[in-house]
Amino acid sequence: MSKLEQCPSTKDSDRTPELAASAGKTTGRRYWRSLDEVSETHEFKSFVEREFPAGASELLSDSRRDFVKLMGASVALAGAATLPGCRRPEHHIMPYSSSVPEEVIPGKALYYATAMPLPGGGAEGILAETHAGRPTKIEGNPLHPVNRGKSSIWSQASVLTLYDPDRLKHPEYNPSTGSKTATWDDFKAWGASHFAGFDATHGRGLAFLVDKKTSPTRDALRARILERWPEAAWHAYCPSESSAAAVGAQTAFGSPARVHYDLTKATRILSLDSNFTCEGPEALIHSRDFASTRRQRHAGDDMSRLYVLESCPSATGSVADHRIRMAPSQISAFAMALANTLGVGRFSVPAGAEIDSETVTQISADLHHAGAGAVVIAGPSQPAEIHALCHAINESLGSMGSVVTTSPMGADEARSSVDSIRDLAGAMTSGSVSTLVCIDTNPLFDAPTDLNFGNAFASLATTITWSVQASETAARSTWSLNGAHFLEAWGDVEAYDGTVSPVQPMIAPLYDPAMSDIELLAMIAGDEHPDGYGLVRQTWSARAGASVEDRAFDKLWRRALHDGVLAGSGSTRANARVNSGAIGASVATLSVASAPTEDSLEVVFSTGNIGDGRWANCGWLQELPDTASKVVWDNPAYVSPATAKALGVLPDHTWQDEFNPYTKQQMPQAKMATLTLGGRQLDLPVWIMPGMPDNTVVLRLGYGRTVCGHVGNQVGFNTYALRTAEAPASASAATLAKSSGTYTIASTQNHWTMGGRDTILRSIDKKWWDEHGGAAPKVATDHIYGGEGAPLNMAEQLGELNHTPRNIAIYDNPLNQSKEDAAPGSAFSKGPQWGMTIDTSTCSGCGVCTVACQSENSIPIVGKREVAKGREMQWIRVDRYFAGDDLNNPSGMMNQPVACVHCENAPCETVCPVNATVHGAEGTNDIAYNRCIGTRYCANNCPYKVRRFNFFEWGWNKYNGRFYGEELLGDAPISQKDLNKNLIPPRLRQKLDEIQRMQLNPDVTVRSRGVMEKCTYCIQRINEARQEVKVKNIWDRAQNTEKGPDYQAPIPDGFFQVACQQACPSDSIVFGDILDPNSKVSQWRDNQRSYMVLGYLDTRPRTSHLMRVDNPNETLLAHLDPDGYEARISHDPLSHGGGHGEEHGGENDDGHGDGHDDGHTETHGFFYDTNRSNDSGYALSLRVLGAATGVHV
Amino acid sequence: MSSHHPDKVTAERLAGLREGAHTPGRDDGPNLGDGSLVEDPAVRPPLVLSERTFGEVTQIVAGYAEDPAPKWWLIAITISSMVAAVGTGMILYLIITGVGVWGLNNQVDWAWDITNFVFWIGIGHAGTLISAILCLLKQKWRTAVNRSAEAMTIFAVICAGIFPGIHVGRVWFAWMLFPIPNSNGIWPNFRSPLLWDVFAVSTYATVSLLFWYMGMIPDVATLRDRADRRLRLGVSRPFVVALPGGRDVTLPLPKPDTLRAFIYGLMSIGWRFSSRHWHRYEAAYLVLAGISTPLVLSVHSIVSFDFATSILPGWHTTIFPPYFVAGAIFGGFAMVLFLLIPLRSLLPNFKDLLTIRHIENMAKIILVTGMMVGFAYSMEFFIAWYSSNIFEFEAFANNRVNPRVAPYWWAYWTMIGCNVLSPQVFWFRKVRQNPWAVWVVAIFVTVGMWFERFVIIVTSLHRAFLPGEWHMFYPTWVDILTFVGSCGIFLTLFLLFVKFLPVFAMAELKAVMPQADTHGHDDDHGEGH
Repeated sequence: MSKLEQCPSTKDSDRTPELAASAGKTTGRRYWRSLDEVSETHEFKSFVEREFPAGASELLSDSRRDFVKLMGASVALAGAATLPGCRRPEHHIMPYSSSVPEEVIPGKALYYATAMPLPGGGAEGILAETHAGRPTKIEGNPLHPVNRGKSSIWSQASVLTLYDPDRLKHPEYNPSTGSKTATWDDFKAWGASHFAGFDATHGRGLAFLVDKKTSPTRDALRARILERWPEAAWHAYCPSESSAAAVGAQTAFGSPARVHYDLTKATRILSLDSNFTCEGPEALIHSRDFASTRRQRHAGDDMSRLYVLESCPSATGSVADHRIRMAPSQISAFAMALANTLGVGRFSVPAGAEIDSETVTQISADLHHAGAGAVVIAGPSQPAEIHALCHAINESLGSMGSVVTTSPMGADEARSSVDSIRDLAGAMTSGSVSTLVCIDTNPLFDAPTDLNFGNAFASLATTITWSVQASETAARSTWSLNGAHFLEAWGDVEAYDGTVSPVQPMIAPLYDPAMSDIELLAMIAGDEHPDGYGLVRQTWSARAGASVEDRAFDKLWRRALHDGVLAGSGSTRANARVNSGAIGASVATLSVASAPTEDSLEVVFSTGNIGDGRWANCGWLQELPDTASKVVWDNPAYVSPATAKALGVLPDHTWQDEFNPYTKQQMPQAKMATLTLGGRQLDLPVWIMPGMPDNTVVLRLGYGRTVCGHVGNQVGFNTYALRTAEAPASASAATLAKSSGTYTIASTQNHWTMGGRDTILRSIDKKWWDEHGGAAPKVATDHIYGGEGAPLNMAEQLGELNHTPRNIAIYDNPLNQSKEDAAPGSAFSKGPQWGMTIDTSTCSGCGVCTVACQSENSIPIVGKREVAKGREMQWIRVDRYFAGDDLNNPSGMMNQPVACVHCENAPCETVCPVNATVHGAEGTNDIAYNRCIGTRYCANNCPYKVRRFNFFEWGWNKYNGRFYGEELLGDAPISQKDLNKNLIPPRLRQKLDEIQRMQLNPDVTVRSRGVMEKCTYCIQRINEARQEVKVKNIWDRAQNTEKGPDYQAPIPDGFFQVACQQACPSDSIVFGDILDPNSKVSQWRDNQRSYMVLGYLDTRPRTSHLMRVDNPNETLLAHLDPDGYEARISHDPLSHGGGHGEEHGGENDDGHGDGHDDGHTETHGFFYDTNRSNDSGYALSLRVLGAATGVHV
Repeated sequence: MSSHHPDKVTAERLAGLREGAHTPGRDDGPNLGDGSLVEDPAVRPPLVLSERTFGEVTQIVAGYAEDPAPKWWLIAITISSMVAAVGTGMILYLIITGVGVWGLNNQVDWAWDITNFVFWIGIGHAGTLISAILCLLKQKWRTAVNRSAEAMTIFAVICAGIFPGIHVGRVWFAWMLFPIPNSNGIWPNFRSPLLWDVFAVSTYATVSLLFWYMGMIPDVATLRDRADRRLRLGVSRPFVVALPGGRDVTLPLPKPDTLRAFIYGLMSIGWRFSSRHWHRYEAAYLVLAGISTPLVLSVHSIVSFDFATSILPGWHTTIFPPYFVAGAIFGGFAMVLFLLIPLRSLLPNFKDLLTIRHIENMAKIILVTGMMVGFAYSMEFFIAWYSSNIFEFEAFANNRVNPRVAPYWWAYWTMIGCNVLSPQVFWFRKVRQNPWAVWVVAIFVTVGMWFERFVIIVTSLHRAFLPGEWHMFYPTWVDILTFVGSCGIFLTLFLLFVKFLPVFAMAELKAVMPQADTHGHDDDHGEGH
């Protein structure tokens, strides 16, 4: 093995001293395939001899079957040798763990640390899983302070954007006038003379519009460029950026500052339209920290309280204790009223504001009471003044310095994107720009509409656009340059907390030659042969104050490449002083609009899953359901049901139920309407969203791209057409009028509420949780059959099991697979027995589990039309339910992730006529794809409806673009009503084949049509872990005979993670061995909050859900929702009245005291207490720690 | 041999060259129908009207099979075979493209496919019921309808067999359903009701086919002998194609009688009308009737297990087996009536063999089974309420019945209207005795029974346990045309049967005619029995 010529990246390893020592020798780790090999027995030697060339003689002597076997092996080898993915970058990149052998082992993934720049600044540290040199999956880097092993939907999906077949593939000259293919050499030759022309004018007339990101190397290049051409203009622009936060911080602290929130210290949080768990450069940190303050292990555990005032139901709103719908302007007014009540200032709250003073009083009292634990966070829809005011409020509460800290922010970063592009547009219009270089920006699509950027752009003499994906701007520039994806190029990036990470290539550019942004800038700055690797090293060595050749720097560099972070680069946190006077002055100038009315609507611009539009061509994100509306592939205007009704744009509905628009047409139909804002009009469909403030319209940005590729072209509506530089976040005085026609909306969830089935997603208030959570499980007397039923914990007492007689069989259950009653000696009495718990208390519904699963398990996307038919393929979905009777103003929004729950008593298994879905020895419900004939009976009998059927050949063979219904779409002009051609499942398109196939996970079977599939508990990861442990075991036995030949070490808890669990930023998903009493999953299964969804069916799911606990402010609840208060707070949910009540009462009294005692001795942050980087769970999949874990080889 | 040889005379008459001594058919009486209805319970009404002789019965049945095809038949088979071709095309399209061409989705995984399957398999029940159970119960009136009812059964089972066959995702692996020994040691899952279906339906199809075919041997032999006699006496017609304008073209092909003698000869497997043959025939018939009788009950019970053994509210119902069997008989008789009432008018003199009394008897069965089905509907509802299981109750109340919230309420109420209400008109004798009124109700019942299966399957699936995953089902044009095509296949087969095989069981019919009773009582038919 070790003698094979291996990976070119390590071939010339003698250049680096550390590796040179061991090159060519076998003094390192020894690898072997069996014990026989270790001991070099005679049998093994003869086996090796037979297996290799001499074995050719077997062809003559042996059977036909052996011949076929050998042929198969040869073909496989030939295939491996010519793998299109075997494209290795030229420079050294360090495998993530030192324990990984230098040789690439075919079939084993390698993990490399890198980082993904975030739009608007900041970064995510990621690990890219590469198979045979091609990245297939993104994980969060556990050493990165932002990720800590977790990831966002965007980093998960970034691997798909790498393999986007619509990417720019080569430079083009004058593409707008006929698309002349050019080469990079052409551009270099042209550029050298063109840019030299600016030397005389010191760069006057030269302007750069770059994507706003934080990259030290790019900053260095900017300095170089401005040094060469001092009068060149440099603008950074990110359309989705919330400039208000930076401006507000500047006002509050007197200098630009990044604001950090340590939510682990927060006990009371008020969000003013801030979706802090999902948006922003530190969303992952917030999500993780916030969840750690919410996780209820025992009754009486501390729990934070979250108030959310928001204009559109969001992920953060769904985990709030009080979610109050409010238009952005009213939220501003509310903030001012709150500041008044808290004594921060005396602001005149606008007269027309619809502020409920009692609510202000209650919330402020609660915040005041919490003092330094209380924090107010403003969101992007709020003006800078309110952001500043929040800092003042936090200062007055005492949380400034503890919960809220700041770190310095560069002046460039602080400069508002909108101001930048306004300046640029002004310069362009006035004719002072002759050459515009756009680096990864797409202003022709996303610039504020009032700047008329398109006209100014067209008037420029020369425009150069560097872009990775196809873009509207590139298509109309003089030069369109194909960029290297961040997974293909060298670079660096700084996270919001200052941590610097290297960006290293996983693969040579797919469309070679391509340049990264820094290479292009270096070339413009004058480098003959720009080299990203050298540029980054140069910047870093300058930063470290060492020379590039320095041994010490090399060590630091290699360490950083390995870890994915530059050690010690995180910024120090300051306790900035708040300038109350400046804040007061700025807030005093703020004019807040009065409450919106039907004739004067308020419009909110927000970003959804495809961000500002840059991810429009990524199918995973297009098909990821919107958090609250569950709409995919579209951005209708969202309004509240009452507003839709008042404006006459309620979606088509049945005559019975006006808020259930799903039953009239084959696919749900939205009404088209014209939205007028500031004299600009946009026709778009209107969809209802419960829980939105009335007379408010929420628009998602980024849709309606015209040049981005087959997936994203013409999907949705371009809402940038209404967005101005004056009001980039929210605007008022809009009108909405019904226009003609309807529009198909595809949504993965067609119902808003649980329809009275309240036991599906159980929730309880903290008061009752504290009171009953410590009680002993209730053993109910079976009134019908006599005797005692199974003991029910608290969550189970809230469900059907409390009312239905036990499923009593007259036979002994031969399966007996449960942890509780595993039959001795049965296969299920031995570990590992896999199980999962999902905490509905902390799940915010961000959807990263869905994308991670899609990426890990090679799940196809199916397109809008198929989703509208109900054929989405995602294995894990997040069900969203609104609570309460009033759909217009629901009392809350709750999330419930559902994937296959791996029932021990699986209804799907008994009905499959061909034994294709069967139970594994470790308790997983497995599907043998090649046995499945597709009767779909299993899916019908699945009470959780988690099974997904391949209605067409989505995964593998293509129809060469032909598919059912194509002729209905044809080449007909795309009208707004029609489903456009771009919504064809992209995998059906022949041209996507070759490239996109490279993303598929080689450890997972690609399913053919006619086959059922569903969550496998990532069985490929389980198997990999088992092999790893087994190999280690054999090694141990060889070293250490005392353990005996039959010793099988268990797979340690957390040794590996399933994809959804690994990605989940709030740690809501826990997976492991339920027979191991020390495993996290087994402890959570024993928790009082654990219940089986539909457990009364006796399906015995291996995935249990943890009941949601809310921590409402009782006084506020009594004020806001007297009926709800009555039901929730003053009535014990565990007493059902009548005779029942007494029974419960007695037990509850017993348990009451215990619960509190237990609770207070435990810390609440169950997961957060564990230092992730010391978690042995990363040993396998992340390979962080080497032998230190005691398990890893 | 003289030209007056009696054999020759008969053969010429058979060939239509000589006038026969036919008694013309009689018109229906004003009050007592066609005379097959007798008010006096002591009087057993005639099973064959117009005092037909054995020879006339033979001539009516066999003569029709031998005569040139009538115009209505040619038109009907043209249309139905075209529809069948469309259905076949849909099936090919489905197999080539994928199950996604239907409107199914991940929530409603079965819809029209299994609806059609259960619909057709249900229709396939009446034939065997008439043949087997009524035979064992010595219901002599069955002889007039059993042949065509059995044929209908076979064709319905063929249509039923198509749907589970093509609805699977990978048709080319459907053989995995059979317990074929293989080197992997993988067997079908004997716990799955779908597998029981495979056995139940294939057994039923086999036994029904045997029963039908065996019962037909003597009659086929009659056709063989008649063709043979015409051939031997040289009075066979050549193969003639009638052209418009009265000009006929004789094709240089073997005479139809040659083909008849050959094919019917093969089919009658050496039947010589010997006493020994008759003896064994009677015994075998009884044995097959005995085997078929439990099958009538078992097949639809097992089909109902597909639903009853599942855990889905609306499917998970213990009442299903008897309810399905009753429904199958109900729907099957409706289909028999739907086919035979027009046939009775279209085929010459057939009204003498298939009388108003037959129709009335079958109408009574429809009334009874319809009420059994109605009882099952109400019991389902009652139990859903009585169980106080919210999921169960919702499945009935809010997914089916309540028009305010149930999207498929119209399907449910169509079912109730057709299956429970429409047969109630059979309480009135006048309606029962009016063939066209009965025919209309039969159509209603057939439609209702299709909707019954649709309601059970789709409304239970589209809103199952978790509201997060509720989804509607809408059929695509492929769904619709596949079902229509299966009707075309069914009708084509039936029309071919009607034209080329003995539509009535001549031998059995003759056995229940008064002439068969050699022990006297030849004046008043059946009096004193």
